Amino acid sequence: MAIIRGCNLPEDLYYYPEKHLWLKPLGGNLFRVGLTPIAGKLAGGKLNAVTVRAKNIGAEVQQGKSVATLESSKYVGPVPAPITGIVKRGNDRLASDPDLVITDPYGEGWVVEMEATKWDEEKAALLTGAEGLAEYEKKLEAAGISCA
Amino acid sequence: MADDKILIIMTSGPDTPRRCATPFFFATLATAMDYEVTMFFTIDGTLLLKKGLADTVYPKAGGKSAGEFMREAIEAGVKMTACSASLELHDLKPEDLIPEAKIVGGASMWQMAEESKTVLTF
Repeated sequence: MAIIRGCNLPEDLYYYPEKHLWLKPLGGNLFRVGLTPIAGKLAGGKLNAVTVRAKNIGAEVQQGKSVATLESSKYVGPVPAPITGIVKRGNDRLASDPDLVITDPYGEGWVVEMEATKWDEEKAALLTGAEGLAEYEKKLEAAGISCA
Repeated sequence: MADDKILIIMTSGPDTPRRCATPFFFATLATAMDYEVTMFFTIDGTLLLKKGLADTVYPKAGGKSAGEFMREAIEAGVKMTACSASLELHDLKPEDLIPEAKIVGGASMWQMAEESKTVLTF
């Protein structure tokens, strides 16, 4: 576990820093995807709705395309796919408790699970480990973002 | 590349502030779902495109102005179009509108409706 600029960012996850998402390898090509506390903060800190797009389940989504949406009183925006892959399932618990994404970002608040189809070519752009987090810290510093 | 097109027709204006946030919010939300979104302003909706006016309209007291909701939609990529006849209704000149607004005729609205998967009217 690492605390970077006040944000809890576990070292064993992969990060998609453009949209502050995390990926956790579940074995094979399967990955769980969620929001870091940074994304939660940028979204206004309390969400009214997190909706996984039903038509994407079972379909291949390109990296950067929307897999879900976030709605708060201050913000509305997409959760883009951090990798290209087939969306296997969304987190059903978010329908009744969207704020889990904020309150338990690495646990019950995950958003989707995806089966990567271009992992080998896309993983280089993701950040992970102590070295990756050092780079992430630089990006946060440059953007003036902190979770404090 | 957007999946599908959506058209939102906005007829509400400064006389009904509470109707002036949701259409923009829904438009922004649709772009987050990768839809290509166009808003068509007519009747009183066109007034919201008058420079500075939307910043004085508050859907909720103490909340964000309609102008802020509109700017978020524009930043998200929502295209703003204004009905040319409604400019005349309100004695507006093209230069009175925000630069993002494109003035189109009524027939363009029908064409956009025809090309859109969903049309919403507020």
